[in-house]
Amino acid sequence: MYGDTVVALSTPPGESGIAVVRMSGREAVKILSGMIPDAHTWETHKIHKRKIRGTDGNLIDEVLAVIMRAPDSYTGEDVVEISCHGSMLIITELIEELIARGAVVAGPGEFTKKAYLNGKIDLVQAEAVADLIAAETRLQSLVALEHLGGGLSRKVREVEDKLLEQLSLVEVSIDFSQEDIETWSAAELTEVSREIRKKLRSLIESEVAGKKLRRGIRITLLGPRNAGKSSLYNALLGEERAIVSSIPGTTRDLLRERIHIGGFTFYLEDTAGIAETGCEIENRGISIGREAARIADLVLFVIDGNSGCEAQEERELARMGHREVIVVLNKKDLGLREDESKVSVRLGGVKAVALSAKEGEGLDKLREEIFSRAVMSSAADLSRERIALNARQAASLAEAERTLEKLEREMDKGAEILSLYIREALEACGRVTGRAAAEELLDTIFNRFCIGK
Amino acid sequence: MLKKDKKAPGFSVIVIGGGHAGCEAALASARIGFDTALITISRADIARMPCNPAIGGLAKGQLVREVDALGGEMGLCIDEAGIQFRMLNRAKGPAVWSPRAQADKKVYHRRMLKALREEKNLTLIEGEATAVAVRNGKVEGVAIAGGEGIGGKKVILALGTFPNGIMHIGEKQIPGGREGEPPSCLLSDQLAGLGIERRRLKTGTPPRLEKSTLDYSRCQIQPGDDDPVPFSFRTRRLQPDQVPCYITWTNGRTHEIIAANIDRAPLFTGQIKGTGPRYCPSIEDKVVRFRSRERHQLFLEPESRESEEIYVNGLATSLPADVQERILRTIPGLEEARIVRYGYAIEYDFFPPHQIHRSLESRKIEGLYFAGQVNGTSGYEEAAAQGIVAGINACLSIRKEPPIFLDRHQAYIGVLLDDLVTKEIDEPYRMFTSRAEHRLLLRQDNADERLMKYAVRYRLLGKELWEEMICRRRRVERARRRLAAETVPADRCKGILKEILPEKGAQPRLATKLLQIPGVDLEEVESVLKDGPLGLGEREREMLRIRIKYEGYIRRQKKMADKMLRMDKIKIPSDFSFEIEALSAEAREKLQIFKPENLGQASRISGVRASDLSILMIFLERRNKQEQG
Repeated sequence: MYGDTVVALSTPPGESGIAVVRMSGREAVKILSGMIPDAHTWETHKIHKRKIRGTDGNLIDEVLAVIMRAPDSYTGEDVVEISCHGSMLIITELIEELIARGAVVAGPGEFTKKAYLNGKIDLVQAEAVADLIAAETRLQSLVALEHLGGGLSRKVREVEDKLLEQLSLVEVSIDFSQEDIETWSAAELTEVSREIRKKLRSLIESEVAGKKLRRGIRITLLGPRNAGKSSLYNALLGEERAIVSSIPGTTRDLLRERIHIGGFTFYLEDTAGIAETGCEIENRGISIGREAARIADLVLFVIDGNSGCEAQEERELARMGHREVIVVLNKKDLGLREDESKVSVRLGGVKAVALSAKEGEGLDKLREEIFSRAVMSSAADLSRERIALNARQAASLAEAERTLEKLEREMDKGAEILSLYIREALEACGRVTGRAAAEELLDTIFNRFCIGK
Repeated sequence: MLKKDKKAPGFSVIVIGGGHAGCEAALASARIGFDTALITISRADIARMPCNPAIGGLAKGQLVREVDALGGEMGLCIDEAGIQFRMLNRAKGPAVWSPRAQADKKVYHRRMLKALREEKNLTLIEGEATAVAVRNGKVEGVAIAGGEGIGGKKVILALGTFPNGIMHIGEKQIPGGREGEPPSCLLSDQLAGLGIERRRLKTGTPPRLEKSTLDYSRCQIQPGDDDPVPFSFRTRRLQPDQVPCYITWTNGRTHEIIAANIDRAPLFTGQIKGTGPRYCPSIEDKVVRFRSRERHQLFLEPESRESEEIYVNGLATSLPADVQERILRTIPGLEEARIVRYGYAIEYDFFPPHQIHRSLESRKIEGLYFAGQVNGTSGYEEAAAQGIVAGINACLSIRKEPPIFLDRHQAYIGVLLDDLVTKEIDEPYRMFTSRAEHRLLLRQDNADERLMKYAVRYRLLGKELWEEMICRRRRVERARRRLAAETVPADRCKGILKEILPEKGAQPRLATKLLQIPGVDLEEVESVLKDGPLGLGEREREMLRIRIKYEGYIRRQKKMADKMLRMDKIKIPSDFSFEIEALSAEAREKLQIFKPENLGQASRISGVRASDLSILMIFLERRNKQEQG
């Protein structure tokens, strides 16, 4: 912790042109030199263009890298900054590679903490630094909680339980070898380890390199026909991308484009208007739209503010349940039947924004609302921490995976050696779940085995 | 109480209690050179073993070796009193080997008493200590029932299970500290009056049987090792005439009787309130919790060559006497057994150790030390380990020197002390090898390399043994370097590996790498070395084997240990306030209870997260800066 060399993504995550990965600590230059052989000869504060390859020899990316030697850096330690292309896949691979070479994933507020400890930040700011650490930690645990009961966290906990079970069998054979109780077998341990590795691999791939992160933050426009979704779509994009007409049901397909708000990347999706229709193609379009809204990070529910909200639309809104929704009252230029606050109250407190896509009025307000949900809302899917955490999680799970590989290779070694690997894998998983599973070892043993002479 | 002006006869160190903690504490203090008093209720019960007649065992054997390397007495006593020696886990890696011996309890007692008597700075006093004299938050001496007070600069409490001890045999409750001995209530009550928190724990012991009434032919024999290894680094040769133990098992009929009488078991009727150890449950507990088990293993262990008593290891119970009788009738070999003493459970006070420093000194009362079961531990070995540390630290404190600080990677003793001040004790604490995160470093074979330097520094041992150890280590290191530099040619490797790796044997390998392959003998490799054999003694060869086998792993564990050490080095001043807004509520509460002395200890308190540590670091740094001005 104190003397560790830490690494983290220091630009906002999501697909972007350039991402900066920052590493700070005594070993920073040494670790970089492992990937870029001449790095230790670099002058301080000079930028170099190099290719970075993984341990397996595959090219990760061509990057710009700079070393800022102590004490002239933000943290006061040797700092390395690597600017790479902003794909989550590249970022994750790069961070994993640095970790494999000895860096540690930075904890909340860690760079600032180091700066403070090294006298780079003023003495009076101790509270502020502590608050920053506490706040980031709260965000992370909120995110972890959100995962509980359905997502990553539960799956990793299952992995931990399996590892703990094997560890208890191995440890019992050491500490309670005089008792006549069951014990571990190399065959079973190997099988369990392989199974767990498979699970970890699929978690790493689905959670991080998978669609969810590659696509950035996803916003879906949904609403009745002719509410002006496509106009809003074009207005937010700043170009005529979707065909706009007064004919209800013009949009039938799902459209998707990238937009940037406040330096963040969003994917904006336009969908077919919802209506009861006999047209097979249109119905298909509507169901695609609903499906898109179901998995979106944020739904903009667009209605015609001039004609107001119908019972059917209220039902549609209710269908979305707890999803992040902003109700957009379009066509403000034609006059509103009900104002934002009334609509909001009637719909049970959902945020409503009135605007005119046609005139451009109110668009900034909508952008702000989207941005603040993305950046400020901690528990939401849109949280920047959530994505940053995922890079962290992926690195930790990959570490557990590597450790188990070693375990399998050294299955002919004694219980006291195998125990080391299982504990290490548990520790890596614990960084995702926040659980210190090894501390539960004795409880597990006493619950499971009849011990005691 | 004490007279205010005169404190004669006064001692530098007073130890209360003559059990395993008390004896080591008193000997260490006297040997370091301070006049020491050991107060015991009865001299005849010095170093008595109220529970199983054995010393050592898994993790405990390592503790005994460590106490010995620090100059303690336990190893020497058991080497003389042992009647059966075994090295446990011999089939496993040497990192987890543990010596264990059956003890002749009477010989052990006599041997320890002799050591105490021969110690010139040590005075044995018979009597019951009823109070600790305290003035201005500092200890001054001890009051003895019906006698004068004794002045003392430091007082070590090694009271065992005596504080408010109550023994249970079925419905019967007998106040007592051990079988046949009265409890000590006044002292515990006085300590509570001084504001020291106490809680209750429970432990139990099985019935003792008369040897001549047992039928060993129906049991399985368990002999000692053919080549017994001594506990003490000072014992040159063991010549025990070993006595075997026997194994038998309970069965369905036994369990039926227990189940039918469970409503008479104090453990289940609510009569016993203290928490017992989960690793050493009573037979009724085992039967209730593990119904599906068809049998439980029992070890028949002799208590002494001079007595007929046999200890039934595995049959701890507080069931009523008549049920204990009926249980025995169902067990093969024990059908005719006559019970000499009934099994019982004992409840006693302990003083939760978040109230002591890692040096074992009370946080509240200067100069007062707690060692052994009073801290919530169980086991003779755990007690002895704390005793010797308390003895050393009391002396160092008189000399105004800092206490001895053994790290977790240095000794099981370090793990024990650290756990005491960072973990909540909710059952009697026993050492397990799995409690040590650096298990490969804490072996029974290298306790001298790890700890003897302290014994030499504090004059608890002479220099000779230590110098011998240094020379031995050098010779081993030279041999290791030779092996690491020599490549064994392919044809030789093929020969050595013909049975282990028949397909891949024929390639040249470094001698050390060759030795890392499981199943390769050092002797075989030695026979093919260019410059002939290594010329090492047996002990050195053993060290070499271990070093090579664990090479990479030991390096890794050392690295981990260094990392931990960095945290341990960040001290937290004793007046540091944990009232920090940014800390999580749980961390704040725990930190205020445990008051860790450094950041490493803080990290080992459950509920304290990495972010809490970061926040502590920030505030510690600010304090440093403010102090520097």
